[in-house]
Amino acid sequence: MLPILANGAFRNGLIVFAFLGYLILIGIPGRLGGSALPILALVAALFFWVRLRRDLSDIEGSFLRTGGATGKPGWRIGEPGHTSPQEAGTPLPGREGTLAIRKGLLAGITTGLLIAVVSFAFASAIGSGTSIQPVLDKVVPVNVAALIGVSPGQISNDEVPPLRYLLQVLFFTAAGLIAALAAVAARVHGLQTTAVARLSTYLDSQLFRKAARFAGILLPFLLLAFIAWLGIPGVTAFGSNEGTVRLLLTLIATGSGLFALRLAHPGREQKTVALLLALGVLTLPFILDQFQNSVMGLVFIFVMMGLGLNIVVGYAGLLDLGYVAFFAIGAYTYAFLSAPFSSPYISDLLTFLGISPANPLLGYWTALPVAMLTAAIGGILLGIPVLRLRGDYLAIVTLGFGEIIRLFMLNLGELTNGPRGILEISQPGLFGLAPQSFSSGLLSSQGWIFLVALVSSAVVAFVAIRLNDSRLGRAWFAMQEDEDVAEATGVHLVRTKLLAFAIGATFAGMAGQLYASRQINIFPENFSLFVSIDALALIIVGGIGSPAGIVLGALALKGLPEVLRGVDEYRIVAFAALLVIMMIVRPAGILPSARRRIQVSSTEDQISTPGEEDLDEEELDEVTGRRAQAASANREAARGQEGP
Amino acid sequence: MTALLSIQAVTKVFGGLTAVDNVDLDIAERSITSLIGPNGAGKTTLFNCLTGLHRPETGEILFDGRSLIGLRPDEITARGVARTYQNIRLFGRMTALENVLVGQHLRLHASHWSAILRSARQQAEERAARTFALELLAFVGLESHAEVVSTNLPYGEQRLLEVARALGSRPSLLLLDEPAAGMNPSETDRMMELVHRLRDEMGITIFLIEHDMKVVMSVSETVAVLDYGEKIAEGTPEEVRANARVVEAYLGPEVVLQDTADTPNL
Repeated sequence: MLPILANGAFRNGLIVFAFLGYLILIGIPGRLGGSALPILALVAALFFWVRLRRDLSDIEGSFLRTGGATGKPGWRIGEPGHTSPQEAGTPLPGREGTLAIRKGLLAGITTGLLIAVVSFAFASAIGSGTSIQPVLDKVVPVNVAALIGVSPGQISNDEVPPLRYLLQVLFFTAAGLIAALAAVAARVHGLQTTAVARLSTYLDSQLFRKAARFAGILLPFLLLAFIAWLGIPGVTAFGSNEGTVRLLLTLIATGSGLFALRLAHPGREQKTVALLLALGVLTLPFILDQFQNSVMGLVFIFVMMGLGLNIVVGYAGLLDLGYVAFFAIGAYTYAFLSAPFSSPYISDLLTFLGISPANPLLGYWTALPVAMLTAAIGGILLGIPVLRLRGDYLAIVTLGFGEIIRLFMLNLGELTNGPRGILEISQPGLFGLAPQSFSSGLLSSQGWIFLVALVSSAVVAFVAIRLNDSRLGRAWFAMQEDEDVAEATGVHLVRTKLLAFAIGATFAGMAGQLYASRQINIFPENFSLFVSIDALALIIVGGIGSPAGIVLGALALKGLPEVLRGVDEYRIVAFAALLVIMMIVRPAGILPSARRRIQVSSTEDQISTPGEEDLDEEELDEVTGRRAQAASANREAARGQEGP
Repeated sequence: MTALLSIQAVTKVFGGLTAVDNVDLDIAERSITSLIGPNGAGKTTLFNCLTGLHRPETGEILFDGRSLIGLRPDEITARGVARTYQNIRLFGRMTALENVLVGQHLRLHASHWSAILRSARQQAEERAARTFALELLAFVGLESHAEVVSTNLPYGEQRLLEVARALGSRPSLLLLDEPAAGMNPSETDRMMELVHRLRDEMGITIFLIEHDMKVVMSVSETVAVLDYGEKIAEGTPEEVRANARVVEAYLGPEVVLQDTADTPNL
């Protein structure tokens, strides 16, 4: 009921606070320089707006849902013999409502104060030259200072009047919160005449929703155009941060493309948007520089990993923590074929056979089936012993398998050259052309890798989606739901499980091969447990079972940290914070699959049909809109009864 | 009549407990047979032996003249035995339609490659499978709920959906484990009618476990009674109702002293 508002506001405040902390930890404000505050304020405002709309719908929903003693829901206005809200047992917010709003204001302002005080403490600490803590010393103070518009230079020159910036932060936080809460108050009290209420009605209107949808679809294209424009020699917009900002924009453009796809109406519109987006994204490798391309290449290598792991974990429900093993198998298989001279054993063997080990045995594309097959065999070899294991036990065994493969690579010195690694692995060619001959002009070498990664990911996603939408996909999901019943219904468990392991491993093998050629030199430590964890984390953050979510997850978890290269040691902390926030805000992932949404909503709310929590923005809008209409109808009816 | 299913001296032991003790039972083709007995009598264990979830220690189970012993559950389903469960075990997050499609898993043959390429044959097979699934849903009366996620269905309809899923594998013998458990009277009537239609319209042999004596007595042609793993009686509902050992098993030895006709539940 009404206290939801207070709780909601408080929770929103905390989340924004945590998010700011996260941004500071990973060093965003420092990179944005003086523009940090407005940008962050915008982000916070957007966030508040989305959250408030949801809280609002909760409040109105609770008015309408409560049928009171008569058992008649408030919706049924206009039917003969309807009762006014008062009679129906739910008074319009009077004292209770005011109290809740007051509580909300208090919570919001307290949170704002907290943020301001902490920022101020840090900023003044820098101002006075006090060392806060050896570890945090380097990054956090500078970033916090930047948050309130202070540059490191100003700090060292003692040009900071801290009070002014404190007031600035206070003003922004408080103004935002008060405006938002005023909007809620206006809505709750039915003050249709106020400007705020008019604004919020406008935001619910059909026209605005159409405009928002259109803007959402247009956004990735605008961003892509902007990125391309930034690529023109001589154009600078962000000074020394140009490269990083452009990378950030690329990540956002790619991610917003996926949302645009969701916003587009299914059918021709969606197909057109998809095609244009594909074209747009395919131009990226040509316009980005070497660094940006190399990051995007890595992101899409992890997209392939994520899509493969998603088959095992998301579709078949087998928790595999040793997924890096297949990645390593793919990488080393290609490494042996491409740079046989780096492996003492293989070069001896080839010399013995009369083949010169100085040249690659197979090119990238001819080696691809070999790497895929080897990885698939690895998948089956792991699958057979763990067929009978479920849940935790399966996770532990696969975890061990991942480590075993890494230790093999480390200790089989004769074959893998041990920790010295396999060196000089060649890059993919094109129709017999050597990579250097065509990649120098149009494409940078990393651009070429990115392009290959993009195309490979598309193929992998295509195969994964089609398989999921078939007899096999249904069997996987049935197995995930109830293994015994699936078997008794006719699913061949051994075959179905092994297929999941093998197909997942194949994708990881493809990713591994591309990774090897991207790295040129690979070492056993490239294939640590953290690769498995990254792959798992990205599908959880993105939304298990949803290919689009996995792309987003990879962008967020592999792309963003690269934007923040300078603060490497905070990445793990930052991940933890991000994951916690993610799980609060969107428990089913950023772009959850339909099924996952069902699961999460049914555990959250047993009674209602697919939870509103996880509806798409548009669906949410519809629900909110409908409720708003019903609510105003309600109020008018009430007024009408009271009137003459 | 020939026996479709022949259970011969089947014994299943869990540790020191003999759950099913030397049970013999023949089930005629196109018959409706009920298995009753007090809780813990070994009814569901016998079902589990039939469907391959448990492997009996001794004895033979012949289905259509061939042994089912040692086969995997999916192989037994492929032979034409399907079942439902005492505590509903649907694939909760799948829609009703998808549940029935999984039920058809064995009857579909398109390869994974053809699924990736969406070959014409695979597409035709999928379309046919959907049509058949919708027919089955219509048969049990759930055609309007095809796209509803199965956990969101009311309890009674979940039971009906389990039947539809079992029908997906085109069985010739259907094992129903307490199909009317937890249902209200009107849902029970609907289920009983469905059991008859399954036999009469689809020609499926029905073997069911049930506690509701109204269902048992009205629906079945033969009733077998298990107590402590042993079969203590078999016959028509009337014969079983009059059997002294059955009454003893249900109500305890003292009651036998009274007139059996007075026992209300049987």
